[in-house]
Amino acid sequence: MKVVLSDTHFDQIKTHLEDAYPNEGAGFLLGRSSENLVEIEFILPMANRREAEAQHNRYSIEPKDYANAEFEAARRGLDLVGVFHSHPDHPARPSQFDVDHAWPNFTYFITSVEKGKVKVTHAWRLREDRTAFDEDILEVAQPNSVANTNRED
Amino acid sequence: MATIRIPTPLRPYTSGNEQVTVDGQTVNDALHNLIEQHPDLEQHLFNDGKLRSFVNVFLGEEDVRYLNGIDTAIKDDSKLMIIPSIAGGSGADTNRKVDHSALRTNQAFIIGLLLIAFIANLWALVAFVALVMIIGTIWPNAGLFKQVYLRILKPAGILKPDVIVDNPEPHLFAQGLGGLFTLGSTVALLVGLPILGWTLSWIVIVLAALNLFLGFCAGCFVYYQLHRLGVPGFSSGPIVREARQE
Repeated sequence: MKVVLSDTHFDQIKTHLEDAYPNEGAGFLLGRSSENLVEIEFILPMANRREAEAQHNRYSIEPKDYANAEFEAARRGLDLVGVFHSHPDHPARPSQFDVDHAWPNFTYFITSVEKGKVKVTHAWRLREDRTAFDEDILEVAQPNSVANTNRED
Repeated sequence: MATIRIPTPLRPYTSGNEQVTVDGQTVNDALHNLIEQHPDLEQHLFNDGKLRSFVNVFLGEEDVRYLNGIDTAIKDDSKLMIIPSIAGGSGADTNRKVDHSALRTNQAFIIGLLLIAFIANLWALVAFVALVMIIGTIWPNAGLFKQVYLRILKPAGILKPDVIVDNPEPHLFAQGLGGLFTLGSTVALLVGLPILGWTLSWIVIVLAALNLFLGFCAGCFVYYQLHRLGVPGFSSGPIVREARQE
């Protein structure tokens, strides 16, 4: 699966995750998906609802926040297509905990943030049998090559 | 018949439908009827016959966990919703990281409040600091000065995090030791021994200042000496810091 987003949206993700450091930050990716392509058109940063002591290596988005995000996506004529979160001072690879708690058909961006600076982002997708993630192809487009970024419907 | 709203990531298994009409008298019946209609949903909703922990079922506005669980009765016109909890995380270095900005905030509060207490001769303020330190040692989450840092100073950008791979236990031990001195100071002041009382408070002020301004944690030093001597309960040895590699 190929995932495309503009560098403006990518910057919004980076800013949220650097602000969250040394804790994990997270949020939703809104856009459209077809059989082989996910186009991300809006970034929705979310609060990490884990207890303060656990936020350095865990994140959680609660059901009410999820429901609001789905409503927000619908309002914009988009779908929830994925989730992004950071691994502070840790590689951008899924942990077993990430696999165990993942939902299918979402692209999961994992971004490593080292000493407060974003290093690398990889996109992952849960296998149908829930045993592991496979990597999506992540493409960050230059401005104007992804149509109508931040469009308000 | 009742309906179940399907969250976006599960809609590919319901032919794209947002809503599925189901039969049943309880939430459990409804979920199983849903799975009969769309069998691919089962592995994402259930694990060993139990609803997965991050799958939430709401009846109207209520999480059924707070009603009668999956045995909650439903009616013909009930509207159920499956709502995901989204969770994950690296799980790296659990409890092996310490934000030294939080420690320094704690020290600054202790020093400042004890100085005010000394100047204004307020035993109650000494008692307050002792209480905060002791509570923060027993329940690190409940440390008031740390919470001021986590909820106000850090989010407002006034203080920047300074997270270091470190053992939290020696710092907690140091705070506990300081808490006991401050408690001793309170008791001495209350029973009319001001010289002893203020001496104990000043020991705490000086040691906290040593830590805040020179980075020497006397309590941690004691902790690591006890560790070296093999005293039970002092299990964390000094960490040799190394750079992380991806």
